[in-house]
Amino acid sequence: MVFEGRGQPVVALDKVDLHVPAGSFGSIIGPSGCGKSTLLRLVADVMQPFAGTVTLSGDSPRTARHEHAIGFVFQSPTLLPWRTVRQNVELPLDVVGRKSTRRSSKTPDELIELVGLKGFERALPHELSGGMQQRVAIARSLVLQPDILLLDEPFGALDEITRQRMNLELLRIWAESGTTALLVTHSIAEAVFMSDHVHVMSARPGRIAGVVDVPLPRPRSLDMMRTPAFYDCVNEVRDGLFGRESEPARAGEPVEAY
Amino acid sequence: MDAAATLRRTAAASWRPLLTVTVLLGAAEAAQRAGLLPVFIPSPSQVIAEAIRDPRLITENVGQTALRAAIGYAISASIAITAASLAVLVRPLYGPVYNLGVTLHSIPIIALAPLLATWIGTGSQLQIAIAALTSQFAMLVGTIQGLRAADARQREMLHVLSATRLQMLRYLLVPSALPYLFAGLKIAAPSAVLGAITAEWAGADRGVGAMMLYALFAYDTPKVWLSVVLTCLLAASGYAVWAAIERFAIYWEPATELADQP
Repeated sequence: MVFEGRGQPVVALDKVDLHVPAGSFGSIIGPSGCGKSTLLRLVADVMQPFAGTVTLSGDSPRTARHEHAIGFVFQSPTLLPWRTVRQNVELPLDVVGRKSTRRSSKTPDELIELVGLKGFERALPHELSGGMQQRVAIARSLVLQPDILLLDEPFGALDEITRQRMNLELLRIWAESGTTALLVTHSIAEAVFMSDHVHVMSARPGRIAGVVDVPLPRPRSLDMMRTPAFYDCVNEVRDGLFGRESEPARAGEPVEAY
Repeated sequence: MDAAATLRRTAAASWRPLLTVTVLLGAAEAAQRAGLLPVFIPSPSQVIAEAIRDPRLITENVGQTALRAAIGYAISASIAITAASLAVLVRPLYGPVYNLGVTLHSIPIIALAPLLATWIGTGSQLQIAIAALTSQFAMLVGTIQGLRAADARQREMLHVLSATRLQMLRYLLVPSALPYLFAGLKIAAPSAVLGAITAEWAGADRGVGAMMLYALFAYDTPKVWLSVVLTCLLAASGYAVWAAIERFAIYWEPATELADQP
């Protein structure tokens, strides 16, 4: 992926080779500006690659998009402010047409209940908190039962408590729907907790530095975050991100919290 | 919000401006009676007396001007909004439409009115045409800005859903354009009134502008002032109508409530 910036082109993504098996939960982790979001936008056919290919179960992203096989949750909720919560969740149904067969077995109201917003169906987005808005966005992304769910730091703006609850919820929803999920995050713990495979990226130009397989069984529970297997994976991802630095961090240098 | 609460809020919001106007009028009245103002500035009571003595002066002239301004405004709105939408949807039209709007807007109306009068005559058609010309630009700019105002992330969201162009317009672009469109409609309404009045100076038998011109030539200053007041009221009510519609149409804007506001 090459950006034509001012002056010489900037290579945003280079030699990215990433495979997410069907039905699995993959995640991409890397520092800010490494092209994680760009990669996700290539998969969603929001952008086109300068070179290379993206295939979704054999189809091009464009075909997948036209078949409404892609669910996308953005960093910000991107709700339409003039629509109520229910109308926002129903938006994808309005776009594909109510007669379309591509729709979740759950009704919009059931999805709203699933994300914990029962009773807020008629609220307008500006009446909700940021976390609640993002949950509406998740319900909206599921209403067409996508084959692949792309999550671009969906809980980045949420507090730690809500975030862990949302992660558990998301795993439950994902397990139920059988969709393939690809999560972009910059939290190591989140990446390990959620995924089957963590793809570690390095920056400028963005490339995949390594893949960490997470052997934790499913369904995942918060208790697993205390197990040695969890810590091994976290350490492995951290080594992939920072390299194995034997000497302690120099004074004044930021240290990743977990 | 129920009707009683709306009424209470309106009353609470309007007593201050009403008081200000009353005090100012009272001061002008007192100053004129004390001989502090030049003789050609009438006291408010003289202006009001003028209106009461000959109510037909108001009914016959205001209605005429209001009607012509409204027709010109409606024509202008339909053309400007259509042209602006086309300019946004069809790339190559963007430049020409915008340039034409700017050019038309920069023509001095005071010079154009007599010229246009020799061409299309001094009947209603002249006032309607000038009202349309003076009000088009605000609506053109408002619509163009509005249709381009949609959030990029929301566009992407609909793109991932494979929304058609029409769906994109219906679900995102048009609703996001409404606040800008209303701004344009509000600015354009007084412009249409002022345009119609300017056009009446170029020759009209009736209308607030004609009344103003006759009174000026007759050195009838109370009547000139009355026509000025009528112009202001007409222009302001054009604005107020759209402001009222806007309050109901744009229901999703969160009210900004700051602690230090009364």
